[in-house]
This record gives sequence, structure tokens and C-alpha cells, in this order.
Amino acid sequence: MIGVISYLAFFATVAAILAVAVLGLNLQWGNTGLFNGGVAAFFGAGAYGTMILGGPADPLQFGGFELPYPIAFAGGVLLAALVAWAVGILTLRLRHDYLAIATFGVAVALEAVARNAEWLTGGAKGLRGFSRPFEGLITDQFTYNLVFLGFVLAVLIAVYIGLERLVRSPYGRVLRAIREDEVAARALGKNATRLRLEAFVLGSAILGASGALYVSFYAFVSPQDMAPILTFQIWAMLIVGGAGNNRGAVLGAFLIWGAWTSSGFLLAKFAPTSVQIYTGSIQYILIGFVIVGMLLWRPQGLLPERIERTKGTGKGAARVSAPQS
Amino acid sequence: MKTRNLKRLLLAATIAAGTAGMAAADCPVKVGVALPTSVDWGKPIAETALWVAEMINEAGGVDGCPVETVLRDTQVDAKVGVDAAKALVDLDKVQLLMGAVSSGVTLPILTSVTVPAGVMQISCCSSSTRITGLAEEGGTNGLWFRTFATSHVQAAVITMLAQDAGYKKVTLFYKNDDWGQDMAKLVETDLKASGIEVLKSIAITDNQPSYRAEVTDALGDNPEAVVMALYPKEGIAVTREWISLGGTTKMVGTNSLKSEEFRDAVGLQYLGDFIGADTSSPRTDSASAFVEAYKAHFEAEPSGPGLANSFDAAAIALLAYHAAGNGATGAEIAAKVPMVTDPNGEKVEANVDGFRKAMALLSDGKSVSFQGGTGAVTFDANGDVSAPAVSWAFGADGIEEKRYIPLEEVNAFIASMK
Repeated sequence: MIGVISYLAFFATVAAILAVAVLGLNLQWGNTGLFNGGVAAFFGAGAYGTMILGGPADPLQFGGFELPYPIAFAGGVLLAALVAWAVGILTLRLRHDYLAIATFGVAVALEAVARNAEWLTGGAKGLRGFSRPFEGLITDQFTYNLVFLGFVLAVLIAVYIGLERLVRSPYGRVLRAIREDEVAARALGKNATRLRLEAFVLGSAILGASGALYVSFYAFVSPQDMAPILTFQIWAMLIVGGAGNNRGAVLGAFLIWGAWTSSGFLLAKFAPTSVQIYTGSIQYILIGFVIVGMLLWRPQGLLPERIERTKGTGKGAARVSAPQS
Repeated sequence: MKTRNLKRLLLAATIAAGTAGMAAADCPVKVGVALPTSVDWGKPIAETALWVAEMINEAGGVDGCPVETVLRDTQVDAKVGVDAAKALVDLDKVQLLMGAVSSGVTLPILTSVTVPAGVMQISCCSSSTRITGLAEEGGTNGLWFRTFATSHVQAAVITMLAQDAGYKKVTLFYKNDDWGQDMAKLVETDLKASGIEVLKSIAITDNQPSYRAEVTDALGDNPEAVVMALYPKEGIAVTREWISLGGTTKMVGTNSLKSEEFRDAVGLQYLGDFIGADTSSPRTDSASAFVEAYKAHFEAEPSGPGLANSFDAAAIALLAYHAAGNGATGAEIAAKVPMVTDPNGEKVEANVDGFRKAMALLSDGKSVSFQGGTGAVTFDANGDVSAPAVSWAFGADGIEEKRYIPLEEVNAFIASMK
């Protein structure tokens, strides 16, 4: 029983960390229409930034400043935002698929930097050892994992509430206006270029926060954590959950990560021994089926975007919700 | 009424939890395997590990109980691998976990799953020196082992061979991944420690159309010899350009270049001075016992990377499990590993008869020396493996072994550099 709880807490922690990243991407794609193909880069910037600032000192290595956790965490988020700012200035003039390719290229380049700049990132071996928050206070690993889960959920809820307020504010409406018709938004006097950059940086900072949580949890980061598969996973979560809907983003993260891991568990449990060796490949096929099926039969996601609009005029204006077409 | 139901439920849950706790001593014995089975080179490694479990079962099983392997795919993704390991430890209650291959997956499993849970972990193929660092700090609690000997031992053997050949100034080409970077650093340190000058250490990244820039860079220093820590694919490209631009044919290579593809593509006439180092196929009967058993079972040569290592990891771990007895904890199994790899113990072969003999001796409390596919391996305090080595060269009929360097000599040489 303890084992089941322990595993579920572990699963929920990873899923919640990924959900934070999906929320960040949702601000960029779901609300502003920016196709960020370099999710892994910003996640990685947050992870490496936090590790370099908060990690243990190593004579062979730059970093290891052993700063207090909140500073290390904030530093990781800030680094992700800075990278996003630089990337954004260069690439945000691009639209749709061009932006996707450019950001994907940036992610591959940054992964190569992480793999090769050994003095900075530890190279392919990665960086290890991180004194996790409150770890000194709780000796029991099981209790600690529950406390850490609580911490991650608190961050997730804070990000969720913050984004919900943001997208419901006039600012959020401008972002959606840019997504739907940039020319019209500019005609109304909105500085679209600047707003796109702001949304990109803010979304990437949230991706960075997810990376910072990730490195706090595993106390280890290597270039493998920045592989393009991560970008794919986060995107799959957003598409399945429902782009443009923050609740959908969180739901998608838990569902896809659940499908991803439980498919392996169930195959290991129920597949006959003779096919045991192929379960890894079968798992990939199942995951692919889920995503393709979603795209074919429910492209708007499980929880589609709901736009609140004001109907009628004057005092009697009623707010109604309508699913977006 | 409701509270009574709740109480019943709680009672049932407590009983269930209680039985789950005791299930560790039940038959069959569950063993976790977390390997990248969805990757082409990962599948044979996993097949080999599962095959060992079959052989152990044929020889009587762990402490009289059949072994049930629970295989999970790591997808070479740290998140997926750690989740799989966590499920194996928490839900399947394994006390022994074999895996993973990539150090980037193995290390987080070690720090966030197996060590906190007190589960023994053994890997066939992770090479990172970060893990040695973790063990030195006491972060593995003696629960960690690996049968991948190459990095430390092989770096020492390469140095030994370069020294014997009388080279004074060398340049290093290494594959730009975690294995290559580690190897380069170790070789460089070892060479310097034994008085050989390293002119340059040059990274070779996969899949480049040409390595002219790297080769020209090395040529400028006019090194007496080159050390190559490369795989055949980029090794062929680099060596061809190196020789065509007038580089020396004096080369020292790692075991990864031990391939006929490399010999044929470069040309035997250029490889007369090539010296190879290897830890993984010593001239013992056991190595051939492994090869023969492998061929009989899979009807193919064990030529992929890590197969002999995977075999030894699984065999040593399961024999130690047998010695510790069914129901043993990870720490108890780990404590029995030295009994399986005791150089003074009775030698046992890497086949079903060998396992049967080993298990009988271990049950009597006697230690054995397991003669595995990578030789008679022993582990140091950090769980790193030391192994005998060979030097080899390319010949017209294939790869020829030149000299067998026994374990004692390897260990003495490593000690002499410190």
C-alpha cells in the first residue's frame, strides 16, 4: 500500500512538473499563436540555470555557487527568460511553421552547447548533486517525496491562477486578437511585435520554472533531458488536453504522462514473456495511436478553448461562454 | 454503518499491505530490468539479460525459486527510465534492478529510486565517471555495481601500450559523447602521469561529412602517434583523412575500433602499426564458454556492444541474490557480490552447469570466482569493475590478440600511476 502511494506521489510530481511546462506553452501557442518548436531549450535553460546557481561546488566545473534555493530557482527562470528574449528578438518576425523551424533549430543548437561546453554544463555527463528544498528538515524519504509533491503542486496552482487571470484580462484579449488577426490588432493601435515578444518570454520563463522544478526533483541534469522528444511530449500534452484552455493543458499533462508510463507498466504486467522484449516498441506504437486518434477525432482537445464574450449592450450585458469554432 | 465499512476497508488494506510486505520472500523471485528495449542496440542487451535469468532458472533458480524478470523500456529518456524503475521498486517490490544503459538515465535512477529504497542496482553499460564520483562521496551506499570496464581500465591499458611502444608525444581523437569525453579525459590524465606528452585532444562529432579541419589541426603538431577513442563509423572517416594527408600510421585504439569493417575500409596496409586495447575478451575458457553458449542460444555471434557485459551483470547479480537467499534486501544481495567475484574462489564457468556448480558452492557458504563473458571481473569499493586486458592488432585473417595482460598486472599499472 505504501508502495502504491509512494509510486503515485512520484508519478504526480513528474506529471505536475510537466503540467507547468504545458501551461507555459499554452500561453505561447494556445493564447498567442506562437509555434514554439524549441520547448526543450527553455526547459533546459531553467534546469541548467538552477543547477549551476544552486548546485554543489566542483573544482573542475564552473558554477556550483550553492546559492539558497529561492535564488537558484529564480535564476533558472530568469535564464530561460533571457534566452527567450534573445531568441524572440531574432525569430519572432517569423510566422507559424517558419517560427517552429527556427525555434527547433535553436533548441538543437542549445543541446549541442550543453553537450560540448564541458566547463559550463559538465558536457555529456551532465551535472549532479543538488541540495533540494527542505531536504535537511525531513529525513524520511517517503515523507519528503510527499512534501515535495505539495511544493510542486503549489507552484502549478500559482502558475495556473496567474495565467487564468492573465488570459481573462484585457491583456489576454489582445494576445488572442493577435493570434486571430494580427493586422486587425495593429490597426487598433496594439504593438503586436512587442506583445508577441512579451508572451514568448513569459511562456518561456514558465517553461524554465518547470525545468527548475525538474532539476530540483532529480538533482541531476544532462543533455539527454533537452532531447527533442521532450518538445514532442509537451506538445502532445497540450494538443490532447486542448490548446487555449489552461485546465485542458493540466489535464493533458496528467493524461499523456499517465498513458506514456502506464502503457509500459501494463505491458510489462500482462504481455506474455515471449513478447516481453518487444513491449518497448509496442509502447511507442500505443502512444502514437493515442495522439493520432486525438488529432483525427477531437482536434480541439479534450477541453477546448472557451472564449468569454460580452453580449448585448449597456448595463444588461450578460457574459456567456461559447466554445470556439 | 458507514464507519464500519470504512473500518473494514482499512482492515483489508492493512492486511493487503502486510501481505505485500511479505511477498518479497515468495516464489517466484521478481527481478527488475530497465533497459532501452525500443532502441536497436538496446534490444540484444535486454535479450541477453533475460536469457541469463532463464539459465539461472534451468540451474535451479534463486534459492530454489524461479526468477521472474519484469522488463521495462527506458526509451533512453531519464523521465521514462526513472518512472519505470520507481514502478518496479514500489509496485513490483523488486530488491534487484538491472539497468540502465545511458548514464543520463542510470544516474537519476540511482539517486532518486534505488539508493533511497535500498535496492541493489547493476548496470551493464553505463560508463560515466560521475557515478564513480557519487560512490566516492558515499552516495550509493554500496548498492551500485557495473560491469562496463572500459573507461578506467581501458585508459590505463592504452597508456601502458603507448608507453611500451615508446611513444613520447601523442594526439588524441575522441568521440564527442559521454563515453568519448570520459575516455579522453582519463587517457589524457594517465598519459601525462606516465610522462607522455598529449599535444592535443580533439573531439570528433558524429555524422560530419568531413573531418578535414580536425585532422589538419592535429597534423600541425606533428605527433609521434595518435590515440583513437572512436567508433568504427567516424573512425574510418577520420583515419582515412588522417593517412591521406600524411599523418603517422602509429595508432593506438580502443576496443570500439575492433571491427573488420574498420580494417577493410581503412586498408590493412595502413594498419601495420595499429595497436588495440581491450578489456572485454580475455583469453580465458569462460569467454569462449560465453561465446559458445550465446551462439547456441541466439544462433548469432555476440558482436553487438555490451552483450558480454550484460551477461555478466545479470549473472553476478543473480548469483549474489542466490547467495543472499530469497527474501534478502538489496543491501544483503550487494554484500554477497564479493563472494561471487572472489579471485581466490573456485572458478565457475558462464553456462548452466557453471551456474549450478556456483549455486551449490554459494549455498555451502563458499565463495566462487565467476569467469564471465568479460573475464574474471572484480569490483572495487565504488562498484567499478576491474578486468584483465588484451592488446590486439589487425591481421590478414581477422583480429589477432597480441598479449594477454592479467588482472594483477592491470591493477599494478593503475596503482603505479597514482
